[in-house]
Amino acid sequence: MANQQAGSILQFAPFQSAVDEGFWHRLSSLKLNKLGIDDSPIPITGFYAPCTHSQVSNHLTLLMESLPSDSDEESSVTATSHGNRNRCSVPGTLYNTNTLESFRAIDRESLLKEEAKKIWEDIHSGKAIDDSAVLSRFVLISFADLKKWNFHYSVAFPALVLNPPATLVDLRPASQWFSSQEAEAVRAACNEWRNSSATADEPFFLVSIDSNSNSTIRHLKDWEAFQNDCQKLLFGFYDPCHLQNNPGWPLRNFLALIFSRWNLKSVHFFCYRENRGFADMGLSLVGEALITVPQGRAAEIGDHQCVPNAVGWELNKQRKVYRCISLAKSMDPTRLAISAA
Amino acid sequence: MVLSQRIHEAFKGTVERITAPRTVSAFKEKGVLSVSEFILAGDNLVSKCPTWSWESGEPSKRKSYLPAEKQFLITRNVPCLRRAASIEEEYEGAGGEVLVDNEDNDGWLATHGKPKDKLDDDDNLPSMEALEISMNSNVHQSISNHFGGEEEEDIPDMAEYEESNSLIEADPATLQPTYLVAHEPDDDNILRTRTYDVSITYDKYYQTPRVWLTGYDESRMLLQPELVLEDVSQDHARKTVTIEDHPHLPGKHASIHPCRHGAVMKKIIDVLVSRGVEPEVDK
Repeated sequence: MANQQAGSILQFAPFQSAVDEGFWHRLSSLKLNKLGIDDSPIPITGFYAPCTHSQVSNHLTLLMESLPSDSDEESSVTATSHGNRNRCSVPGTLYNTNTLESFRAIDRESLLKEEAKKIWEDIHSGKAIDDSAVLSRFVLISFADLKKWNFHYSVAFPALVLNPPATLVDLRPASQWFSSQEAEAVRAACNEWRNSSATADEPFFLVSIDSNSNSTIRHLKDWEAFQNDCQKLLFGFYDPCHLQNNPGWPLRNFLALIFSRWNLKSVHFFCYRENRGFADMGLSLVGEALITVPQGRAAEIGDHQCVPNAVGWELNKQRKVYRCISLAKSMDPTRLAISAA
Repeated sequence: MVLSQRIHEAFKGTVERITAPRTVSAFKEKGVLSVSEFILAGDNLVSKCPTWSWESGEPSKRKSYLPAEKQFLITRNVPCLRRAASIEEEYEGAGGEVLVDNEDNDGWLATHGKPKDKLDDDDNLPSMEALEISMNSNVHQSISNHFGGEEEEDIPDMAEYEESNSLIEADPATLQPTYLVAHEPDDDNILRTRTYDVSITYDKYYQTPRVWLTGYDESRMLLQPELVLEDVSQDHARKTVTIEDHPHLPGKHASIHPCRHGAVMKKIIDVLVSRGVEPEVDK
């Protein structure tokens, strides 16, 4: 542990967004052909996968398929992308405004709170256990300037804030935390989980190891049945982050779920990462976090009316929230006509 | 796009419309792939290198001779951490291109030759022909976001919000961005990590696979395709590597022109045959 000391606050690496050109193309055609000036929120889908490279994190990707089709005929494709291991679907909401002024006027703080509340409610209703991807719910706000082909946008990954923050007891590469026999069993079990189209895009799961070093990966809803009959039980998630000393963002809401659903104070978590598409125990991490609740506040946690504070607007390298991309080169019909002449 | 390129595309489009897709294998004779061989080779790539997957792309651009869910192959977020200039030197020193015939490289040509172990590029990225997918910026300025826009200075930002208890910067459990770049090879320039989406399409006219590159800068903003060319060896930029419309995705993307692919594959196959190896499309 280089920069995280035992007993220090557990720090999470923020999620990053990457918006593909296809997303803006489809948003433009949706806007022109279907939405018009209707600016009601649109449900969208983001995609992510575990980190596959030791030097670069994965991001939440927004693609053409993230948006509903403007022709209504393409529902079959979204069905086929389910089970794609490189595309775990994450639900999100797009707020596209009609003017730059209204884009800038969006109250991002209350929007973030609103989305955090959805996550909190899903945790309490049990929806987050059946469909764990809702834990990573995100928000995109945008203004598509179709006169200049500029797209202004900003993304938030709402994270419920534990108060006080979780502290870190231990964080190590999985290969060091497990015995070599266990590491091999976990690796094999993870590869199996990732290769099955039924589970490949299920980003949160349970890892169990029995006394004979056999490992099984199970669905979150098996927790009750599962907790007594195994030696070690870890809470695993697809970690988009590549850093050796920090877990990625999705663990935040997962910890909130683990704590408020199952009331665990000490959590062993497993940051699942890959190398070239295969489970890698040297890159994956195992950590232990402690969650403490001050006296007298325990009741709050059980109370689902009391939504914890949330953080999550993504900052770019200038530490600003707003981003803008110009696609005039590939979208402006006059420019295209000139370059084609 | 230059006029000759337009005419050629129109011609190629017409030929593609009137000729039936290749169904009989000519892999060994000409180094070309039939549609079913392309799918077979693609399935194999996906199973051996699971970071690759099949995608269906834009519905309106779908090719009827390919299955709807297997229109093209793509791997996203391939990082590039090194600078082109330094790679170029090593590359020359190592004697340039070498033929790789291990299964992961699908019998394609590894352009980096021996210094491979020093490279940070993914070598599950099957490089083709004579492209140096060194994917590094050799010009500092090139990496800044030339896609225009940038941030407008007058936009009120998060920092100006008073009631700032949802600020990510003020949250003790958020790893602050300075740490995120500490993993870069050198600390002098945090801007070097571009990432690429690499896709492989089937080119019906040349009957070969075709490789496309879509670049993102270090803050994951799209790179203008022209900037991708700066990451490619200058010997090949705008000759072997050109900027064209992607057959399944919107927008312009850099692509390795397939006109020499068949001939190069033929050369590789001949080498394999001379070693007594029976070449197959899924190897």
